Amino acid sequence: MPPDAMIRIAGLRVLYGAFAAVDGLDLDIRRGELFGLLGPNGAGKSTTIRVLIGQRKPSAGGVTIGGRDVVRDWANIKPTFGYVPDRENHFEEFTGRRNLEFFGQLYNVPRLRAAEVLKMVELDEAADLPVRGYSLGMRKKLLLARAILHEPQILYLDEPTANLDIHSAEVVHRILRERVKAGATIILTTHDMDEVEKICDRVGIMARGKLVALDSPLALKQQHTERKVDVIRDDGERFVYDMDTPAGRNDLAALVAAGRALRIRTREFDFHATFLKLTGLAFD
Amino acid sequence: MRWYILKALLTKEFSRHIANRGGIALAFLLLAMAVLLSVFTPGETTAAGTSMVGGVHHCFIEFDRPTPLVRHLQANVPPELKAQVRFRELRKPDDVDGVIAAETGTGSIQIRHVNEPGKRPAVQVSVWHPDSEPGALAPYEQWVWKESRRAFAIEAAKKMTDAKMPDTPAFDAENNWLVLESHKRFQEQVEAGRKADVGAPLVPDLTIDRRGLGGKVLDFRAAIATGMVVFALYFACVYLLPTLNCEERERGVLLAQALTPASPTELLAAKFVFYPVFGIGLAATLAAVYKPDVLSSLFFWLALFAVGGGFLGIGMTIAAWAKTQRAAFFGGMCYLLSVSMLLLICSLNGIPFLSYLAVEFHGPRILHAALSGTVQTAHWRHLAAALGLAVAWLFAAGWVFRRRGWQ
Ligand SMILES: Nc1ncnc2c1ncn2[C@@H]1O[C@H](COP(=O)(O)OP(=O)(O)OP(=O)(O)O)[C@@H](O)[C@H]1O
Ligand SMILES: [Mg+2]
Repeated sequence: MPPDAMIRIAGLRVLYGAFAAVDGLDLDIRRGELFGLLGPNGAGKSTTIRVLIGQRKPSAGGVTIGGRDVVRDWANIKPTFGYVPDRENHFEEFTGRRNLEFFGQLYNVPRLRAAEVLKMVELDEAADLPVRGYSLGMRKKLLLARAILHEPQILYLDEPTANLDIHSAEVVHRILRERVKAGATIILTTHDMDEVEKICDRVGIMARGKLVALDSPLALKQQHTERKVDVIRDDGERFVYDMDTPAGRNDLAALVAAGRALRIRTREFDFHATFLKLTGLAFD
Repeated sequence: MRWYILKALLTKEFSRHIANRGGIALAFLLLAMAVLLSVFTPGETTAAGTSMVGGVHHCFIEFDRPTPLVRHLQANVPPELKAQVRFRELRKPDDVDGVIAAETGTGSIQIRHVNEPGKRPAVQVSVWHPDSEPGALAPYEQWVWKESRRAFAIEAAKKMTDAKMPDTPAFDAENNWLVLESHKRFQEQVEAGRKADVGAPLVPDLTIDRRGLGGKVLDFRAAIATGMVVFALYFACVYLLPTLNCEERERGVLLAQALTPASPTELLAAKFVFYPVFGIGLAATLAAVYKPDVLSSLFFWLALFAVGGGFLGIGMTIAAWAKTQRAAFFGGMCYLLSVSMLLLICSLNGIPFLSYLAVEFHGPRILHAALSGTVQTAHWRHLAAALGLAVAWLFAAGWVFRRRGWQ
């Protein structure tokens, strides 16, 4: 195990009645890494995060953060992290600013910090509107603003970019990279494969409460990209050549030599296909 | 306990009410009612349409022994007095002059039988009417005089089957028959002249003794003011607190607050402080509108704290138990209904002690006593009971809270 593991999940099991939402999860998150947790609906991602924040007690196994047990040391651990829940939870009748100011008071941060984070998530124009009138994306951004209010060393983000437009998602990505640069450790769950590829240092893929893959996006790419080439011939016919067989390599060379290849494309890493294959959800 | 956290939580609670307005609106409505009540003073102490006769909601017929007379009275309570009349045995039959403290709105008619050998049998009737309201028991007295006259006649007829009984008087609602009877007897005496005494009479002698018993007739204005004060406390602690708390829980904002450095104790303490202060503040204002000088009465403040504490415990129990706002609302309603049913059933059937377990039994009594200035020893006992119940409910709330947690 790496010595710089910040968050250590060991043999974690979470039961809802007889149903195991998380079923024997072992995972180490390194200090200063941006970790992406992927998985189909109901895989147990949110449940894992609920254990990490101490909302739900593990049925077996446990979680330590910087060597401290989350359940036993909860009071000391909770000020060190920020959390974006999957379901938004704001005071509807308060403005965005009032919401942040209230939580800022509880975290004992200066009043001006609220305005600062509102600007960071580009909510400064809507800051004085009641949250009741916010759109889904605005609510999500306000959650992130609240989570980074006290500049925590750990961030748990449950689908932080769901419902965000492309620009806002990029704003969020920039904030997350900045936090990582400042030394923070981040776990985020998402359904957006491009996002994972773009910003995550490592990716874990969960299915049915278990971890089915764990690596950097690049390594996953190399492991799962097929070495095949798609070619369109000058008469419009499409061909696929397998680079792992001599016949495939020779046929492609002959076609290129004859000058009949109109377009040649190597297959890119297809995260979607990989994801579906790993989680056992691919259609045959 | 950190002051900056408590301050933030309390201000939050306050600004939520300012933003939502529902609670504030109701508080102002109550205040308006209190002002109206103090401006338009109803002149009469008796209100039509209530189950009260002469400002007395209960008249106790207390007896030393279940003699035929008592049994006859029991069997002949007129329908219009059925809800108010209660029979009970005298706990100290010999103690006629002992200090009797009756609750406001009650009176009693005591029946004692003197039946010692060698003495003439006698029935001793004591009418304990509310202070300064000797007429308050008149409807009950009329019934008792009429039915005891009939009971004596029936008993005498049984013992002396052959003799001729005096005619049954012409009973009437105005009790004129009493006067007519005495006039008739006077006539007979004058006609026949006094005879010598021949042994024990068939009909016992009768003595009547009337006095005030320290209680008062129920003051309706004070009763309505009491109702509003109790409602203000109930509204703040059993309605607002659980519903707002459970709304926060349901929306996940309670969790969001629990994840901040604020400790569970601080979060609880803020609610423990805000709602009782709101409720007691509102209740005290309402009471002051009705009668400003209650604010200088220690008993009034103790009563407010006892009832407020009890309601706070009930509210916190519901708040800890209910997961959603709807469940909290239903919890409050179910509690209210079941307690009302319990008190009603106990009161209609004369079931003792069970109703002592309800804060709502003691609360109105002590607050009414404080508001009408009629505090007696019994009220201090009610106050002690209310304080005890408040402590019990607060413990229950803590227990449920530890078991249910934040989610
Ligand atoms: N409170 C609960 N009671 C019962 N079952 C639950 C509860 N919360 C979650 N589950 C179950 O646990 C499993 C995992 O749920 P979880 O929310 O962790 O999934 P997820 O990976 O976050 O899914 P999504 O991508 O849809 O957010 C699901 O099958 C869900 O039905
Ligand atoms: Mg989820």
